[in-house]
Amino acid sequence: MRKCTLGIALAFAIILSCWPTLTAQTKQESAASKGPSSDQSHDLSGVWFDDHPRLITVQQRYWAYTFTPEAPPMTAWAQSKFDAAKPSFGPHAHPLMESTDPLYHTCAPIGFPIAFLYPLPMQIVQTPGEVIMLFEFDSLRHQIFTDGRPHDTTLGPLWMGDSIGHWEGDTLVTDTVNFNDKTWLDRLGHPHSEALHVVERIRRIDHDHLVDDITIDDPKAYTKPWTAHLPFVLKPKWTLAEMFCEDEQSFQTMDKDAAAPAK
Amino acid sequence: MRIYRLGAAFAFATVLSFSLTSPAQTKQPSKPSTAATENQARDLSGVWFDDRPRPVTTNERYWNLKFNAEEPPMTAWGEAQYKAAKSSFGTKAYPLAETNDPLYHTCTPPGLPRIYLHPFPMQVVQTPGEVIVLFEYDSIRHQIFTDGRAHDTTLGPLWMGDSIGHWEGDTLVTDTVNFNDKTWLDRIGHPHSDALHVVERFRRKDHEHLLVVITIEDPKAYTKAWTTQIEFGLRPKWTLAEQFCEDEESFQSMDKDAAAPAK
Repeated sequence: MRKCTLGIALAFAIILSCWPTLTAQTKQESAASKGPSSDQSHDLSGVWFDDHPRLITVQQRYWAYTFTPEAPPMTAWAQSKFDAAKPSFGPHAHPLMESTDPLYHTCAPIGFPIAFLYPLPMQIVQTPGEVIMLFEFDSLRHQIFTDGRPHDTTLGPLWMGDSIGHWEGDTLVTDTVNFNDKTWLDRLGHPHSEALHVVERIRRIDHDHLVDDITIDDPKAYTKPWTAHLPFVLKPKWTLAEMFCEDEQSFQTMDKDAAAPAK
Repeated sequence: MRIYRLGAAFAFATVLSFSLTSPAQTKQPSKPSTAATENQARDLSGVWFDDRPRPVTTNERYWNLKFNAEEPPMTAWGEAQYKAAKSSFGTKAYPLAETNDPLYHTCTPPGLPRIYLHPFPMQVVQTPGEVIVLFEYDSIRHQIFTDGRAHDTTLGPLWMGDSIGHWEGDTLVTDTVNFNDKTWLDRIGHPHSDALHVVERFRRKDHEHLLVVITIEDPKAYTKAWTTQIEFGLRPKWTLAEQFCEDEESFQSMDKDAAAPAK
């Protein structure tokens, strides 16, 4: 039964997502999409972009390089890692050549959840057993299995982790583990260990808005779990472009984009 | 009208692909997929793997090194580039330290169509306006717009090119241009220029088999257009794993996989 319901939900979702191409009909149908039917709200598909207000100072624009305006509750281990980090972003930015950001010079995969902090869009596509977030940045995939499987503990430590998810009403609840410890948690150099455990609650609050509440749990790095709130807005006319990390040039272009006013 | 038809096709596809998750139901629902209904045949979704026979000798095992057993019709420029290439694969393989394969040491993207030669699965996902091929290898994405748009000539030269597509009956016909010239066409160093033009014809021959016919046109590198084809088999129980090109180690494990017998 659950299988059929999902199928109908997806079909409905697809028909809905056609509407932005028919401008005349958009208004009418987007009203319908706010209805309470849970089938319909299992559709997260579309191209999404960070919807934080575009504030002027670097300190206010925390969302471009970290998850919360206040510092997360670090352990002593994490504090020492953080103190040693030399980010090229944020209030204490170092010049590129001095940065210890693991992405620089190697273009290693950025990992998860730091992928959300790059000012580029992401697209959600859904299949019957998966919800897949495609990031424009470096062609990254955050692949969430919703077919009921447990975590695959035979997989080695991963850059993006191993993600499973299930629906609670209109909210997709994801659970990601099996991380390596080669990435920073954010662009300021807050650390994480291999014990990192990320839970997301992803919900389309209306047709044009999506929120992802991310809970970070990593006993080695943080004294308690903490949560970040990420708002996204639908960009019906956008598509993902090709963007690969090739060298430092890539980052300079991105930083210029981040500084641009909201569209 | 076209939009609704697409929606219906996808809905049908969705219901069909659910049948794969429950083995007891697989036999019965997979039958209608061989029927001639056009809507249904426009579903290419699933995880696919190169299904060609695995011959034993290195000479015969051209399928993951280059596109055809015979040489493509190179121009003088193409021939000179090919002679200068030092591939680490094939009959005249160079040691890793001596190769000038553009992927080595830098881990740049392999580009299209070379990506098809890396022995990893790919997954096709469809949205109303796009067919997206997700490659396990290096998280690469081949994004084909089927919403009727033209090529975007404002985009710079791209690693994977700019792809548009349309359906001719049950066949997705793609057209890709706007390539950079930084990649090899295949894994043994056949070249291409930024004039490369790739046409693919994707057809699901039956529920479990996908035929991709690729036409390569590049007047600078080849004296005439030439064609190759790859047959893929559906892997209903597979999912894409995380695989990033990190360093030469990545390639060594790939070579081991390539030498393994067909699954």
